Amino acid sequence: MIIWVTIGLSAAAMGTLAVFFTSVLGWANRAFHVPVDPRIEACAEALPGANCGGCGFVGCREYAAAVVCDAEPVDRCVVGGQSCTEALAAIMGVDPTPSLPYRPVVHCGAHTADRLLRAPYHGEPTCAAANLVTGVQGCTYGCLGFGDCQRACPFDAIHVIDGLATVDYTRCVGCGACARACPRNIITMAPFKAERILAVACSNKDSGKDVRRVCEVGCIGCKACQRACSLFTVQDNLPSIDYDAYCPDDLGDAIRAMEKCPRHCIVAVGKPSAKDLAALGDEQLPDVVAPDFKTTVDDTEWRG
Amino acid sequence: MTYFVDILLIALGAALINNFVFYYFVGICPFIGVSRRVEMAFGMGCAVTFVMTIAAAISWTMTRFVLMPGAPLTRWAAGLWLDPQAAAGVDLSILSYIVYIFAIAASVQFVEMYLRRFLPLLYRSFGVFLPLITTNCAILFACLTIMSRLVGVDDPAARWDLAQALALALFGGVGFTLAIVIMAGIREELEACDVPAPFRGVPIALVVGGILAMAFMGFTGVDNGLKTALTPPAAIVAQAPQADSGNGASTP
Repeated sequence: MIIWVTIGLSAAAMGTLAVFFTSVLGWANRAFHVPVDPRIEACAEALPGANCGGCGFVGCREYAAAVVCDAEPVDRCVVGGQSCTEALAAIMGVDPTPSLPYRPVVHCGAHTADRLLRAPYHGEPTCAAANLVTGVQGCTYGCLGFGDCQRACPFDAIHVIDGLATVDYTRCVGCGACARACPRNIITMAPFKAERILAVACSNKDSGKDVRRVCEVGCIGCKACQRACSLFTVQDNLPSIDYDAYCPDDLGDAIRAMEKCPRHCIVAVGKPSAKDLAALGDEQLPDVVAPDFKTTVDDTEWRG
Repeated sequence: MTYFVDILLIALGAALINNFVFYYFVGICPFIGVSRRVEMAFGMGCAVTFVMTIAAAISWTMTRFVLMPGAPLTRWAAGLWLDPQAAAGVDLSILSYIVYIFAIAASVQFVEMYLRRFLPLLYRSFGVFLPLITTNCAILFACLTIMSRLVGVDDPAARWDLAQALALALFGGVGFTLAIVIMAGIREELEACDVPAPFRGVPIALVVGGILAMAFMGFTGVDNGLKTALTPPAAIVAQAPQADSGNGASTP
């Protein structure tokens, strides 16, 4: 008898509690109701969800909220690209503006061997720290090669190869993390009107004589490119390309300027061209790649 | 007077001397997880304090009137079917864990709704850690401590009342807030330190937690000293014969 009373009372106690909490929470749900625009959910669904911050917002959700609430342009997502822009435009009922893919361009072409007046540096192995010290290398504009961009990249698309940050355009989605990480601001985001575009691979604004002293390949400001093609403007001993006027189908003058450059500072960057792929075509690639501890262990170092 | 001293000592004990985090090592999950920024840590501490107080109030009420052996409501309800002798023996304390978890989950849900409505920034910065308060052992620990002061205590005068239970929960929460804010302050500084790679992140946080816990051991014994200092001599004299007659010993 007592066992049945205990069971009955337990059930009654739990039932009463359940009714009590249900009513309190039900009231709270109505009293504290937050109306959420369903379009925010839809926009957040349409975005890639990488939270890379390439749009200038903290994460994809914040951008979705800004698109819906503050009428932010729908083409900000560099990762999602055109399809994402179209999806957002469909949700918001606006016309999608054609958005060019923006990709990082490293404005330096000097590998370790090309950089002169280098001194041994044993400090914190980051560009941000090395940039505070004078005399790490002669060139005060160019890539330091300690890989802040490599660590910042969430897509493993930029690597320091032979002392120079090199973008892997087949992996890059254009979030801009490397450009923000570079303490020397030599990585800029350029509109890629074609798979491969021309870019200036130097950032040194010093006179030709000073550049020759610190770099084997740096731009000496000879203005040969400016004379050959109207796309180039030399200012502060450094050419820049007018990407607004850049037309990938009509590059005759620009190619000539590229060939004229005595230091070969004007380079084509982007996904590998058909010629590059053809050159790699007859290379024998192994079917199975054996793990190698030199490449597979993480590159964090003991710095105690 | 002694009653207020008692409350004060419970509060002080929960907040500093027997700090939930540093003395009992409960509630480590949010202590490690949400202690990266001081503002977030403070918000987390406030949320835990609030949930702990609400859950303690519900737990005390349920334990005192329904769950403990011989609780008045249960005895009355059982008396409808059983004779008074048997009714007094009905024991619902098996339900205690379920009831406590139930109360904690409901209060967390309530806090979540409140924050989403009135403090959306804090709500977003909490993220997954807010629902995780539900399984925060610090809160269940507070409920179980309160239960241990009700169930199995034979002397009715020694059973905790609601004020004592609330003092434990509120100041236990304050102690948790204190601990997590101190921790967050240290971890903000740690960001700038060159910590050896194997210790980065959680390991060094646990090391810091251990050192902090040792620092908090310095409070041990403060409660006894305070009790002696705050209890008027008359009360000691009045209590002494009772204690003597109680245990039969003749300690002066």
